[in-house]
Amino acid sequence: MMETQSFWEATTPRRPDFPALEGDIETDVVVIGGGITGITTALQLTRAGKKVVVLEARRVGGGTTGWSTGNLYVPVGPYLHTISKNRNLETMQTVAQARYAALDFIEMQTREKNIDCHFARRPWYFFTQEEDMVSTIAHEVEALEIAGFMPEFVTEVPPLHLLQVKKAARLDGQARFHPLRYVLGLATAVAKHGCKLFEHTTVHDFKEEEDHCLVKTSHGNVTSKQLVIATHIPIGIHTVQTVASPYRSYVVAMRLKSGDYPDAYFWHNDKTHHAITTHSTDSMKLDMLMIAGNHHKTGQASHQEYQHYFNELEAYARQHFDVASVEYRWSAQHYRSGDGVPYIGLTHKSAKRTYIATGFYADGLIYGTVAGMLLADMISGRENAWKKAFDATRGTNLATAAQFVKENVNVAAQYLKDMPVGNVSHFSEIKPGEGKTIEIDSEKLAVYRDEENQLHVCSAVCTHMKCIVNWNNAEKTWDCPCHGSRFMVDGSVIEGPAIENLQRKKVDIPTEHLLTEKVPPSGERDLNNPIA
Amino acid sequence: MTLIYASIGFFALAALLGMYLLSFVLKGKETPKTIVFTHGPMAVVGLVLLIIYALKGGPNPTESLILFVLAAAGGLFMVFRDLTGKPIPKLLAVGHGLLAVTGFIFLLIFAFR
Repeated sequence: MMETQSFWEATTPRRPDFPALEGDIETDVVVIGGGITGITTALQLTRAGKKVVVLEARRVGGGTTGWSTGNLYVPVGPYLHTISKNRNLETMQTVAQARYAALDFIEMQTREKNIDCHFARRPWYFFTQEEDMVSTIAHEVEALEIAGFMPEFVTEVPPLHLLQVKKAARLDGQARFHPLRYVLGLATAVAKHGCKLFEHTTVHDFKEEEDHCLVKTSHGNVTSKQLVIATHIPIGIHTVQTVASPYRSYVVAMRLKSGDYPDAYFWHNDKTHHAITTHSTDSMKLDMLMIAGNHHKTGQASHQEYQHYFNELEAYARQHFDVASVEYRWSAQHYRSGDGVPYIGLTHKSAKRTYIATGFYADGLIYGTVAGMLLADMISGRENAWKKAFDATRGTNLATAAQFVKENVNVAAQYLKDMPVGNVSHFSEIKPGEGKTIEIDSEKLAVYRDEENQLHVCSAVCTHMKCIVNWNNAEKTWDCPCHGSRFMVDGSVIEGPAIENLQRKKVDIPTEHLLTEKVPPSGERDLNNPIA
Repeated sequence: MTLIYASIGFFALAALLGMYLLSFVLKGKETPKTIVFTHGPMAVVGLVLLIIYALKGGPNPTESLILFVLAAAGGLFMVFRDLTGKPIPKLLAVGHGLLAVTGFIFLLIFAFR
């Protein structure tokens, strides 16, 4: 079984090291999370003259940014015309224009800072081979035109040579880049300008007081005037978690026999959605084809065998391209907002100092940049015309009430699966390479048996809101089906809203009883690849 | 009286599940959420039936109603604490159970006197 490894992680040659926090410090703004959102926010705030501290639990760019697909585009996964319907025309236009401004911003940064991240403009194609999807493409083209862009209908998608394309559109001026190299380039630049970046520094608690914010980490406390939670979804318990739902999607990266890599980004939307893109390893020359798709709610795979998702993408690629070899396979998480627009801004109506950014769908490289630009303006007291459209306190509306109910009923259904029994009754039923839940002494345990036959035992109760975690056999992780927290086999948090690790447990295998002796806590989040 | 008998039925089932849940709380273990989210709604249905019965006028089990409402408030508080990662005070869990059992006894007396 091929292990998961992000192409971006594997093709980033020189990675700057940032120290861990040591002791207590004070600053103007503390940013939790060193992905594209956090680093862009830090960059803009530093430029505005603020003292900024960035706290990253693992490595900068090592969360979702380094596990994305490196595409920069104005259109959005939930569709602009759906945003227009769910909110209004003005919001849709603002979203599209903000995304374009963010794309320009990224290009400018790569030039100004001379970041070697393979940024290149190229077209986006949106096409279908099914009659049912024709109107969707027509509506999206119309929405793009209303927003001030110039998409055009095309009769074929030239680089792919597909037969029976029912409807296709093309939008020029979109782009590709190497997201991890870009974020590391930004981080290096911002650090030179006085921003303090700390890696391997896990935040355990934060709170907003009347005149300051306090962030507690594993290595000391940070006191600040403002706080930005740029952790993809706010960590801890937050009301936005009732409207931003976690999903996973998959990517397979391949080399082609012909070496003929199409220079464009494609959305092939039939019954299932496939995104086709190409990138380069260490020059501007394209040498890698990527197929992405197969979204499903985190921890709720319809196929217990998660490998199915990778296999399906590979089969799709082989159907359309002369695949020579599969080089990388990985998966990433995204959060969907109720109305298709991210939540960016003050965390609650009563909040004065704490900001969040979440609900980016799978369009997060641009949205993370939008968030960085917007949050920095808000914190610096500058006007920003995007503020209302992305207001994080807007909650749900009538148009999205059904979606809100559906997602939360789904969460309730996950709780109802927490029966007082496990997947198996005995440790012996767990085969090498498998993870199962088991109930021992009235406790539900998440047990993984590694290839060397060693058992790794943790509590199966998610530390966020106590759902029971499910085994993800593609990435060898424990994924929470309620709010998307993910844990390594030793219980360490990988991502999601959970702050604390799954509690490690010791068991007496022959008698199948829990041992009461203290087990050392899981390691900190110091690995970029959960498998490595 | 059909409403009362139905209410007794729901409360009886809720009580059985409640006793099972209490055993987890007293042992300091995580409660199985299937049972939590079955126990609560069953008790709520019993309470709603009782309220409907009371609203019809005539003699009604006031003591039971008061005790069940108090027990429900305690139950909601415990669920909130549980899901937000705070420990459930054992005394509160026992108190919640005692309130409900007392209310249930009053209800039986009312129904079968």
